[in-house]
Amino acid sequence: MRPGSDTPRLRLLGQPRLVGVRTNEEGEPLHVRLPGRPARRVAAVREAWRIDDEWWRRPISRDYRAVVLDDGRPVTLYHDLLDGRWYVQTGD
Amino acid sequence: MSETRPDAHGVPTHPSHGWVQGASTGNGRARETAAAGQPWALADSTPFSSSSHASVPGSRRALCLWLPTFELRLELMRAPELGSTSVALLSPGESVRRTVWQVSERAWDAGVRPDQLVSQAVSLCPSLTLLEPDPAHYDAATDTLLEVLSELTPVLEPAGRGRVFLGMDGLGRLYGSPRRQAERALGSLFRVFPAPLVAATRAGMAPGKFGAWVAAVSAPPGEPVVIPEDALSRFLASRPVASLPVDPLVIQRLERLGVSTLGELRRFPEPALVAQFGEEGRSALAWSTGRRIDPVRPWHRPRPVRVSLDFPTPIGLVETLHGALDRLVERALSRPARRGRSVAAARLGAHLEGGGSWFVEAVLREPTSARDRIAFPLRSKMALTPPPKAVETLLLELTRFGAPSTQTSLFDRRDEAGRGQDGRDLSAGEVPVSLKDAVRDLKLRLGYSPLYRVVEVDPWSRLPERRHALLSFDP
Repeated sequence: MRPGSDTPRLRLLGQPRLVGVRTNEEGEPLHVRLPGRPARRVAAVREAWRIDDEWWRRPISRDYRAVVLDDGRPVTLYHDLLDGRWYVQTGD
Repeated sequence: MSETRPDAHGVPTHPSHGWVQGASTGNGRARETAAAGQPWALADSTPFSSSSHASVPGSRRALCLWLPTFELRLELMRAPELGSTSVALLSPGESVRRTVWQVSERAWDAGVRPDQLVSQAVSLCPSLTLLEPDPAHYDAATDTLLEVLSELTPVLEPAGRGRVFLGMDGLGRLYGSPRRQAERALGSLFRVFPAPLVAATRAGMAPGKFGAWVAAVSAPPGEPVVIPEDALSRFLASRPVASLPVDPLVIQRLERLGVSTLGELRRFPEPALVAQFGEEGRSALAWSTGRRIDPVRPWHRPRPVRVSLDFPTPIGLVETLHGALDRLVERALSRPARRGRSVAAARLGAHLEGGGSWFVEAVLREPTSARDRIAFPLRSKMALTPPPKAVETLLLELTRFGAPSTQTSLFDRRDEAGRGQDGRDLSAGEVPVSLKDAVRDLKLRLGYSPLYRVVEVDPWSRLPERRHALLSFDP
């Protein structure tokens, strides 16, 4: 709790952040540039899944990839199918 | 056996391998990666996803070994007297509406088909012998198969029971021509399987797994079909569109449009196929021309941790099995091989009274080392598909692992089993005095508590950013 604040603060974890991703012709990530870091090659895609949700209010449509970069860092990315941009969610 | 109808024999819906009764750790292996979700009628896993390992090198030259109705053949090896009768193997993992999984040739001739209800099958063929599946036996046989083949090449990729892809790049000097390589692979199976089973094995070699699989399907039993690099496109032209690893609905539509072979599919321009079928259309064209080559990628999985419990008398009572499951989870968590890793997936199996086996698998939403969080999903699965008979041996296998642990021990000073480290059990949420002192010191220095604790907001949300939050910590 910061000085002057009487109420506990709540900060959501795992907020998505924009990330630079270069993909192959099938749209699979080949290189990832995490915020403030040099671009890294994707060494392996460990899992892929898709989330489509909340179509009744603000639709969410994401194509997730759990990848391992060539320096061994595990990263979870998703391609927002509505705005077309890539986001990183963990491992950054 | 009706071997020329690969899609008629459902491939198991379970991708992992390797129960070994009573062993603490085993040498079983399974796919580490989840396939990218390409639906395909022929397989439980989707081996032709060039997208799933974007830039991992693999072997371009692929050999596919396929033993059709592998599980039924294994059963018939155990009971050869059934070889000339009508036999059907029941689907695993079902307890209420039991269906047929694989059928013998005689049963097929009588009209019995995979996925038929047992009642329908019996009415069509009153002399039908129904066999309970024994997944543990099939897993052990698959492990044996992979072990033998791994002596030939280190690049092995299993794709459902009875089907394996071998990476054959660079093996020419060791084993000779491609045909000799394939024959050698077939020959090595004689070491572990009886001749009739090996004789029924089909082998196809081609650039990429798709080509190798199509070649294997078209191969006569025991005689490898080898497709050279420059002949792949020509070979694929005559194959049916049903071979394509695309959505079955796309295949249905193609067939309704009169497109029956890959050669006919190629006549269409890519934009037309994309307009009709979207991305699937583009994929279908790339596969059909042989442009897309999906290499065999070496398969890796950390060794599973296995524990088992033998009952003095077979147990059918669910409560007793639940208690046994808890003990097994505790034992598995305390194994040295597990320490330092949390558990991401577990498998519970059993050897049943009078033969046969049963299993369920749970992939945890989050890796954990907490006993109850591991046991709970397995219990739920057990409630949905309980063991069909009394259990003689209960087996637990931790199959996938995650990061070491969480930070909760900083706050509640408990070990993973929930016991107090100072000999006294802390109640839930209680903060140890040492931590309170530390926060007080920090507040004196900084004027505020710089500590936060992770709290669950909506832990079961599908959206990761809604599951947990940091809450300022000031006890």
